[in-house]
Amino acid sequence: MERWIARAVVLTLALLAALPAAAADPGVTETEIVLGCSNSFSGPLAFTGEQATRYGVDLYFKAVNDAGGIHGRRVRTVYYDDGYKPQEALANTRKLVEQDRIFAVIAPQGTPPVVATLEYLEENKVPLLFPFQGSPITRGRKYVFSGMTLYDRQSRIMIDYLVGQRKYKTFAALYQDDEYGKSFLASFEKDLARHRLRLVAAEPVKRGATDVSAQVAKLQTARPEVTFLVLTPGPGAQALKERQKIGWTDTLMISSGPLTDERYLALAGDAAEGVEGLSLWPDPLTSDLPGVRQYREHMKKYFPRNEPNRYSLSGYFAALLFTEGARRAGRNLTREGLIAALESVKGWESGILPPLTIGPDHETQKHGFWVRVEKGRFRPLTDWLSSE
Amino acid sequence: MRRLGLLALAVLVLAWPLLAPRYFVFLASLVLVNAIVAIGLNLLSGYTHQLSFGHAGFLAVGAYTAAILGGHAAVPAPLALLGAGLVTGAVGVALGIPCLRLEGLYLTMATLAFGFVVTEAILNLEGLTRGADGLPVPGARLGPWRLSTDTARYYLTAAVAAALTAAAVNLTRMRVGRALLAIRESEIAAEASGVPVAAWKTVAFALSAFYTGVAGGLFAYLVGHLSPDAFDVFLSVDFVVMIILGGLGSVPGSIVGAAVVTVLHDSLAAVQQYRPLIFGLILIACMLFMPGGIAGVLRRNPWRGGSPAQSS
Amino acid sequence: MTAATIAHVVVSGLATGSVYALMALALVIIYNATRTLNFAQGEMLMVSAFLAWTAHGAGAPLPAAIGLSLIGSAALAFLIERFIIRRSLAATHWDVLIITLGLSLVLRALAGILWTHDEFPFPALFGTRPLALGPLRVAPLSLGIIGASLALMLGLYVLFVRTRLGRAMRAVAQNQRAARLMGISVERVFTASWVLAAVVGALAGVLIAPVVFLSTKMGLIVINGFTAAVLGGFGSMPGAVAGGMLLGVIENVAPLYLPSGIRYAVPFLLLIAILVVRPAGLLGRPRLRKV
Repeated sequence: MERWIARAVVLTLALLAALPAAAADPGVTETEIVLGCSNSFSGPLAFTGEQATRYGVDLYFKAVNDAGGIHGRRVRTVYYDDGYKPQEALANTRKLVEQDRIFAVIAPQGTPPVVATLEYLEENKVPLLFPFQGSPITRGRKYVFSGMTLYDRQSRIMIDYLVGQRKYKTFAALYQDDEYGKSFLASFEKDLARHRLRLVAAEPVKRGATDVSAQVAKLQTARPEVTFLVLTPGPGAQALKERQKIGWTDTLMISSGPLTDERYLALAGDAAEGVEGLSLWPDPLTSDLPGVRQYREHMKKYFPRNEPNRYSLSGYFAALLFTEGARRAGRNLTREGLIAALESVKGWESGILPPLTIGPDHETQKHGFWVRVEKGRFRPLTDWLSSE
Repeated sequence: MRRLGLLALAVLVLAWPLLAPRYFVFLASLVLVNAIVAIGLNLLSGYTHQLSFGHAGFLAVGAYTAAILGGHAAVPAPLALLGAGLVTGAVGVALGIPCLRLEGLYLTMATLAFGFVVTEAILNLEGLTRGADGLPVPGARLGPWRLSTDTARYYLTAAVAAALTAAAVNLTRMRVGRALLAIRESEIAAEASGVPVAAWKTVAFALSAFYTGVAGGLFAYLVGHLSPDAFDVFLSVDFVVMIILGGLGSVPGSIVGAAVVTVLHDSLAAVQQYRPLIFGLILIACMLFMPGGIAGVLRRNPWRGGSPAQSS
Repeated sequence: MTAATIAHVVVSGLATGSVYALMALALVIIYNATRTLNFAQGEMLMVSAFLAWTAHGAGAPLPAAIGLSLIGSAALAFLIERFIIRRSLAATHWDVLIITLGLSLVLRALAGILWTHDEFPFPALFGTRPLALGPLRVAPLSLGIIGASLALMLGLYVLFVRTRLGRAMRAVAQNQRAARLMGISVERVFTASWVLAAVVGALAGVLIAPVVFLSTKMGLIVINGFTAAVLGGFGSMPGAVAGGMLLGVIENVAPLYLPSGIRYAVPFLLLIAILVVRPAGLLGRPRLRKV
């Protein structure tokens, strides 16, 4: 009797030990691919996080799953909240990798949280796909594919356009006091130096702050022609309102790529009129591009009560690009296979962004275009501007 | 019987990494770290009836101290932990002495403000702490070994937690514990019967900060990346929930409270919006229906986690 | 720094300061009656602002929406006082502090579930385009907040000095036992204090929401309110008003001359400093310890 139990125990243990070995990589079974990320569902970027994941990534995967999945596998996603805190992001990512055994991280958000998980993910050879952030730190890493146009490229597009075509000379910046703001700041300095210019003033804003009045008052005294806003939607809109309150009209306020979005616009209300910015995504409501039209159709079908916006579009695009990579990788999906497949993407038409080529630097986007706020909407001023 | 129970517990703690998957080893380490904080907080709150909303601040001081000592100076783990405890203890004394004159609400609010000041200081001392970007923590080193696996870090944490728990149990049985209890019942009566209230309250503050500082050091090794906004007031509130739920003035209660809160916190990660709801309800329910916490329910002994006595 | 800039900054400091003052008054009203601190006061303010916003979104004109929110806030405070605070065994400041801490978590979580943790634009009662007063430029929004707060404070003053309820509340604040002997229902005063504090807090919420945006984070204003109250001497109502204004101005002026980062640490540094140097506050008298 006891020997029978002992045998059963040994057998169970052996099976348990053998199970992970039988499957190729964690997160891929006969019927399923598990993806996930740590994102902001509370804190200053809660709206962004919710839209990019549950209404963006999940939106495309719903459509994929309803159409039979990727090589017969359905995609399932797991999300945890980090509230834009780096330390929580790392803890959540460990939980995703070790407990939920995800195949890859998809579309996490925020520079500091994403940067905090880089080393852990590289060490454990888990792909980090298309984060909603653009710190150059993520460039050229084997397991990382960047999402939005990296900040140094954004800075180059912005400065070259403003100095070259618009002939502005004096610049200032209101920036978030962390890796997001500081990597922009460093790039601004470098790109301005190329034109023999420099920032006349720069004021930091604490992450998650709700009051920027002192910073705006200080910037005004430097009298810049152009003031860059490298912030999240709440403080970004605060800056515009504060400027309106003090009647500071002789500066052009310009939002960074991640800030140029509907949320910031809605919060600022009429204080946003005339503000310009770099947009990384085509207009989700009005664009005629086939991919964006399909996005709107999917949104109407699966989440009819959710307004289209740039965040859900970015998440949707991340899922679209993953699906392209996973289809190319074939039925035998492994992490290494996915990376090789993504690296094979050349001149690919997504129907949303300009033709996409992924090189050894693993950058997926390199473009942006100029917009101005007119009557509460972003109106494009230029075609896609390249950073090459 | 009690010995047997302790033995079983010791065996379980030692064997845990062999039984549980990697993530649960990490989680168990987190439980132990939080248990140390809860014991430390209980030394202050449970024995002197001074509520602190600033223990996340002490945890941050300890964590950053250990990370900086291990990074810049390559100090081995035991020394870094001791350093974390001592620095935090000193901060505790520095906060405690001016706060001695304050009572009740004022002290609580001073600790609350302290917590915020610590995060602001970390944000502004960028040279040392890397500000809002967060500080990667170098791996713990013990002589020639690097404690780079979850299991190694777990055993380090378990050893420290065991030593600090034993020390706390003995402490509460000695003169310190009795003096602190007398202060809790009535400061003025204690003073009248020759207990040097100010001195003991400072000791309580220092000990509480020391425990939390050591826990902070261990926490730094466990999570591997520190950022100031994670040590916010809500973390301090979690610690308060641990001791209220576990039982004021009870060492085993602190451990149970820490375990329940940590595991709940983790298992509610996917439905995080309900987390504060549940913790808030726990606080209210404890105050209304079981003022002694879990320890009070298990052991109806008026001296150990009975209903908190009237304070001044 | 030009004089116009400084004047503008001082005026917006007075505007946020008057909201801190209202928050401080709400805390002091409950403290004077019950000797306890309502840690959930900030979260109650946040819920009130969301109620007004929801009513406005459903089509109610803004004043009506604010009225509905005041009624809702009063009802919430009444229920909390009657069914939770009064049930706690001893209702010492310790018990109430922990219960209201729990309440603040619950309210914040419920608000997050109902309205999400986003930020929302809140319709302002006053415009933001600056008025030119000679060389000065002042936003009507700031002036409106200051004016409305002062009117509310005046109303509170009349209430406390001229009405039966106000007199009963002051009697309870001075000596609970004597008030009871004089036939005042202390329990009713407790409830009235909670309701009154909630109404004051709700108005503060509606005034500040257009400035900081509406979000579940708003509740943290309770800490500024407490700092303001301590600054003026906890328990003193004129002190709370002065403390609030002072805190608002210091908070706004300090970062002009110091690194901007200091802005966010000001209330806490000020709170610790005042507790260490003069716990009785600027206007308060040191209170004897009760044996």
